[in-house]
Amino acid sequence: MILLRRYGTLLALALIVLVFTIASPNAFGSMSNLVNITQQMALLAIVAIGATLVMVLGEFDLSVSAVVSWAGIAAAALFAAGIAVPVVMIVVLVSAVAMGAISGFLVARYKVPSFIATLAFGTVIGGLTFWVSNGATMFSGIPAGFRDLGRGTLAGVPVPTLWLIGVAVVFWLLLDQTEFGRRLYAIGGNREAARLVGLPVRRDMVVAFALCAALAGLAGLLLTARLGSAHPTGGGGYLLQAYAAVFLGMTAFREGEPSIPGTLVGAAIIAVVSNGLTILGVPSFLQDLLTGAIILAAVLVRNFGRDGD
Amino acid sequence: MTSDSFLALGGLVKHFGATKALDRADLALRAGSVHALVGENGAGKSTLIKTLSGLYQPDAGAIRLDGTEVTIDGPRAAEALGFRFIHQELNLVPHFDAVGNAWIGRRHPRRGPFIDRRAMRAKVADVAARIAPDLPLDKPAARLTPGQRQMAEIVRALVDPARLVVMDEPTSSLSEGEAERLHAIVRQLSAEGCAVLFISHRLDEVLDLCDSYTVLRNGRTVGAGRVADTSRAGLVAMMSGTAGVSPSALRPPQPQHPEEAFAESRLEGRTVDVQQKLPGTDALRPSRRPSGPPQDVAVGALPGQSKGRAEKPVLATDLAFGPGDSRFAFSARPGEIVGLYGLVGSGRSSLLKTIWGATPGRGLIAINGQVPGHGPAGRIAAGCAYVPEDRRREGLANALSIESNLSLAHLPDFRAFSPLPMPSRSKIRNFARATGARLRLVAGGLDHSPATLSGGNQQKLLFGRWLGRPIRVLLVDEPTRGVDVGAKAEIHGEMRKIAADGAAILMATSDIEELLALSTRVLVLHAGRLVAELDGPSLTRAAVVAAAFGHAPDEQMPPSERSA
Repeated sequence: MILLRRYGTLLALALIVLVFTIASPNAFGSMSNLVNITQQMALLAIVAIGATLVMVLGEFDLSVSAVVSWAGIAAAALFAAGIAVPVVMIVVLVSAVAMGAISGFLVARYKVPSFIATLAFGTVIGGLTFWVSNGATMFSGIPAGFRDLGRGTLAGVPVPTLWLIGVAVVFWLLLDQTEFGRRLYAIGGNREAARLVGLPVRRDMVVAFALCAALAGLAGLLLTARLGSAHPTGGGGYLLQAYAAVFLGMTAFREGEPSIPGTLVGAAIIAVVSNGLTILGVPSFLQDLLTGAIILAAVLVRNFGRDGD
Repeated sequence: MTSDSFLALGGLVKHFGATKALDRADLALRAGSVHALVGENGAGKSTLIKTLSGLYQPDAGAIRLDGTEVTIDGPRAAEALGFRFIHQELNLVPHFDAVGNAWIGRRHPRRGPFIDRRAMRAKVADVAARIAPDLPLDKPAARLTPGQRQMAEIVRALVDPARLVVMDEPTSSLSEGEAERLHAIVRQLSAEGCAVLFISHRLDEVLDLCDSYTVLRNGRTVGAGRVADTSRAGLVAMMSGTAGVSPSALRPPQPQHPEEAFAESRLEGRTVDVQQKLPGTDALRPSRRPSGPPQDVAVGALPGQSKGRAEKPVLATDLAFGPGDSRFAFSARPGEIVGLYGLVGSGRSSLLKTIWGATPGRGLIAINGQVPGHGPAGRIAAGCAYVPEDRRREGLANALSIESNLSLAHLPDFRAFSPLPMPSRSKIRNFARATGARLRLVAGGLDHSPATLSGGNQQKLLFGRWLGRPIRVLLVDEPTRGVDVGAKAEIHGEMRKIAADGAAILMATSDIEELLALSTRVLVLHAGRLVAELDGPSLTRAAVVAAAFGHAPDEQMPPSERSA
């Protein structure tokens, strides 16, 4: 029982993979499909890693999907104006960081509940995105060199997977091995106590929100690179799935704390279920139903285990 | 003593896994008595209370009410028997007023389909008139003082007739004056025939207020009787199981030159740490009673340090604090424990927070002769440390491990490789081990949550996290609130040790025994104003209380003038 509680989410992932492999050994279980799953989960996982930072603080950033869309549209618009790839990427990422910093500042300095601050500010970003794009999909002038950042393979590994590995390693180190990471956990644990022992609470919160938005911006760039086009609501699907991944991850390892490895497991579960059900030809409404049920089940199992504490 | 008791608990046993929380505990209460339940933390007081309130079912033993055995299978059953519980952490809805709070969970009176607010208020006003006529009934609980909140709880408990009111550490967060007020209410209850079971760590209060007592140790009743037949020492001996008495009789040495303390405190020149400018701030004027020609606070030097070897103050403040243009000016030398006393609302905690840099303030602070940097981080860099009042809200992060909590205040000290801001787990572990050993921390494991610790051990953690580096100034707000006798003595010992190692300690406490036992000198605040400084022969309980209530004959007179 303790094992189930402790590693239940990991076991669930293994079980799901096993079931799909048995159900569809050739299509699902093939090496190429498993590699493909890592590519499919890459963008979601990158957004979710950013959300993890903010969740460690005990806050939410509901503007992540708006930032994903913004980054895609902003990049497409700049490309249409003929601006070079590195400049576009830097400008877009800087704009995303600024957006996150504004959210973080509102939350840290003015104590606006992050839920409402980022919901409202995300709406502002969404409006901005529509304005720039006139509400239309943009696909002209996106250079092939940029598109290669989001597709194809390098040494046999899909490029998005490489991005994910890089981001995961950097942010795992940041959250788990640095003073900054420890401070984030402390601020999330007891903000007043953290302030009273002299931690730079406001600054760290702003940085965490900014990093979260930076990752959402990166995901938006990679999405546009992969699709070769940008849609003003292109990031819409990432918000709930990213938080679902973080919550699933919180049940995976440390006692209820968000962590990068946990979030990866959570994102993997979501990606595997979606991929497996698609291969089995399950209609998409059933996929949503099952994904939601899995998330509820994981959280419930953890809370059942906690009753005795 | 059982013959005339209306409630008798006999031979209660309660196991939690392998540990026996109650091991043949007995308790007998007479109607209208004020009965003290005392014992160290972990002695089984809480378990006993929870058994009485129906939260726990005893594994063995019986509860007899009016001679017949009763089962209390839940809080509703306890309520029906006329038992009321006032817990240490009050349970009021913050935005409800006393009337709204009193009716929570009860059947509200109705007029037609609507709630009859007038009837609600009338009923509560009735009770309040008897018990606490000065309780404002229309203020939301959030805006009441801690003492008033306690009264609101008591009023709520008495809306329906009660036979027994259990109060768990009711005075731990009250000032002396509010505690007196509560004592009067307890006596009133007793006069009305309602029994009061009173749990308190403050033994002088027990001796003063209660007429009978029960002592628990390791879940067992080890003594009971009339308070008139025992003494403080007797109670302590029963609680601890030995004749050993805590070393609070020992007083630290007096500072060598107490008369200089005020004279040297005047700092001129630089403002400190103005986090948020108050109106008209530019005028941090030179003190009204200058101790010499104005000098700049040069780094490393304090004005008036001309006494050669005489130890320099490590902490000196001259802050705009309190109503109007009143100031808080004082200084403290290494080895001193300066007590800070005042009623709740007198500004003790906000004064400490201002010195700590956590609340915006205006004025001058020098630590070790230097103006410290901005905010708590600047104070820490200057060698200052702070123990907050409310360990749960302001002190500990329960989601983190004990060792993480210990390391938080100075994470950069634990770097594996100093240019990289990456802490080494083994260094943190070693620090936590050493600190735990020094403080005699009782913990299941250093990777556990601090929530698993007793109050005393949590309090030790708050001190422990500063022990990694030299402490020059220690600001302590309520060092031992809600802490058992043993841990209290250990914490007092630790504070003396920190002082002896060369720190100046500024300690705010509402426990007057603690104040008198530890302090070499006492500052008294009244309504935000520093009204008295007491030391040597002038430092008596009566003088402290009189000053705290604003009866001091003089305002802000330096001790040298007063004692002359």
